[in-house]
Amino acid sequence: MIQASPLSQRPARILIVDDDGQIRQLLAGFLKENGLDVALARDGVDMRAAMAAERFDLIVLDLMLPGTGGLELCRELRRDSAVPVIMLTARSDDTDRIVGLEVGADDYLAKPFNPRELLARIKAVLRRTGTSEPAAARRGFAFDGWRADVLRRELVNPQGVLVDVSGGEFDLLLAFLESPNRVLSRDWLLEVARNRTADVFDRSIDVLVSRLRRKIEQGGDGSEVIKTVRGAGYLFMPKVMRA
Amino acid sequence: MKTGMKTGMRTGTRTRLQDWLARFGLDTLTNRTILLMLIGIGVVHIASLHAYQIALDREATIAADARLADRLLTIKRAVMRVVPAEREPVAHELSGGPIEAHWSRTEHAVSGGPGSAEWESLRARLQELAPELTGGQIIIGANRKLENDPHLALISLQLPDESWVNVSVFSRLTPPSTNHGTVLSTSLMALGVIGFAILLVRWMTRPLQTFAAAAQRLYRGSDQARVPEDGPREVRELAIAFNEMQARIKRLIDDRTHALAAVSHDLKTPITRLRLKTEGLGDAALAASVRADLAEMEEMLDQTLAYLRGERIDEDMRPLDLGALVQTLVDDASDAGSRISFSPAPRLVLEGRPLALKRAIGNLIDNALKYGGCAHVTLGLEAANARLVIDDDGPGIPPEQRELAFEPFRRLEPSRNRETGGFGLGLTIARTILNGHGGTIALANREAGGLSVSVTLPLKAAAGS
Repeated sequence: MIQASPLSQRPARILIVDDDGQIRQLLAGFLKENGLDVALARDGVDMRAAMAAERFDLIVLDLMLPGTGGLELCRELRRDSAVPVIMLTARSDDTDRIVGLEVGADDYLAKPFNPRELLARIKAVLRRTGTSEPAAARRGFAFDGWRADVLRRELVNPQGVLVDVSGGEFDLLLAFLESPNRVLSRDWLLEVARNRTADVFDRSIDVLVSRLRRKIEQGGDGSEVIKTVRGAGYLFMPKVMRA
Repeated sequence: MKTGMKTGMRTGTRTRLQDWLARFGLDTLTNRTILLMLIGIGVVHIASLHAYQIALDREATIAADARLADRLLTIKRAVMRVVPAEREPVAHELSGGPIEAHWSRTEHAVSGGPGSAEWESLRARLQELAPELTGGQIIIGANRKLENDPHLALISLQLPDESWVNVSVFSRLTPPSTNHGTVLSTSLMALGVIGFAILLVRWMTRPLQTFAAAAQRLYRGSDQARVPEDGPREVRELAIAFNEMQARIKRLIDDRTHALAAVSHDLKTPITRLRLKTEGLGDAALAASVRADLAEMEEMLDQTLAYLRGERIDEDMRPLDLGALVQTLVDDASDAGSRISFSPAPRLVLEGRPLALKRAIGNLIDNALKYGGCAHVTLGLEAANARLVIDDDGPGIPPEQRELAFEPFRRLEPSRNRETGGFGLGLTIARTILNGHGGTIALANREAGGLSVSVTLPLKAAAGS
């Protein structure tokens, strides 16, 4: 049910690097239950060993690690690998460092995180990296003068004004940006939005779409950005560029 | 502004006396010193002038009495020497100035009269100067009371032949004492002293202003609040003590902040574990309830960290769409099942710190939902400000408690029980953040019942913030 890299049908293989034994085990259990294949490492040494032995589709990397810290490890593995990385942080100012220092992470999540949100982020990153583009090119999109920053989860309008969107709205927008000019079914979009938080579970995708529309269509030239295709789903109209 | 670890310097609660002093410009040390010196110099000045004047007056009176006695004697002798028929013309001839003399068979003066005591010295003087005069009777009648009568006194001197010389005295022969010179010189001296005192007090109180400014900077969390350790020894010692105290306070605050922050951060690991463990719970209702508790704990940690961060700014100002920001918060609350309505405004763009503003406004909405059961959010434009109003249908806050509501760790209600959650940082954080944007927040009770929270945020960012 999980779509890993589109080229293979095997479940995506994830490496979890965290020094807290319980979190490691619990996270592994949760991700396995949700169809992912998981390996564990407790620090940088373990991680390097695991990376040398096999290829991973994604690495979940804790920032606070004994020995070599997460930031350094991320930079290190980015030197010779495009493997996507999601960083886990405990301090709010760490997020600034991840984004600001451009260590090459694809996404980050602050502890204590919602496991379902982590799952959703893993899936989103796997979807995006399926195109096998360089790591730096999958962290931003541009359309109609708008910019979406995947790492900061920010949306900026053509005037450079930050337009706040909820987590669900941003995930939905990302789904559109990954597949522009293609009709996306409600089921597919629901699959994208699902698991993000328990609350969004039953939220009709139509409500999310209308909220997103209200934010990105107002003040524009009145043209439709997200078009409803009767009986089929939704179509994202603008030309999308990766940036 | 501000406000504990909030904005602006507190002027403190002033007593009525202080208010009263301030109204007369006596709030500063300089002015008070000048006033005290003025009063002191004035009192001494007036008292010494008065004493000097009394001494001067006594001398003058003695001299005048002597002169008057001389003249009376001269008149009496001259009158005695001539025949009765010529006595009246002679007496008249010798009149002049404040004296008018007449001769007659009878005495005109009546002894006593108001103010007669003043003339006793004259009688004594006459007896001393010319004892032979006392051979005859002297009757001194004072006339002080009759104001339209110019006579000061009527003095009748008996001649040896039982006739009388009556002398009217119109004024004392006192030369007016001119003390203007004295007054001027002493006044000049006083002015000089005061002028010097002003300079002195100014000079001596200048370090105090430095201390006040430094204390204020420390209060605002600046690291460079040390005062220069120079000047007179007393000031130097004060400066050293002040700097040491400052360092201790800063260390204390830093230690406690770090300790609290460390605890808050460390709690995140067990919460993460618990969250993961809820995924393994078979009982969906239990899992949901545990997750809700965890969410509440997380929120407390976040609020505590936000509070500890205080006015520390680690987020950049950037243009943001306030309407979209509020819309997200409203939608989130609505998704969580809250009763919330929103009247949006046409696009409102302002310079702000997105995460901070989201926290501030989120806190206000949470409060309305928690204590008021629902929230009616209205966003509008008012002059150059965005105006956000959050109304609820709760019990409101009595006017006298509204300022208290902004204090940290203050939960107003006894009626609002623990069930409502939170621990009293929401409004504190909101106000700190809004003030940091040059905005304001005000609480008012609605006529229809419930609390109305009004927020204004300038669309153009205040300079320097």
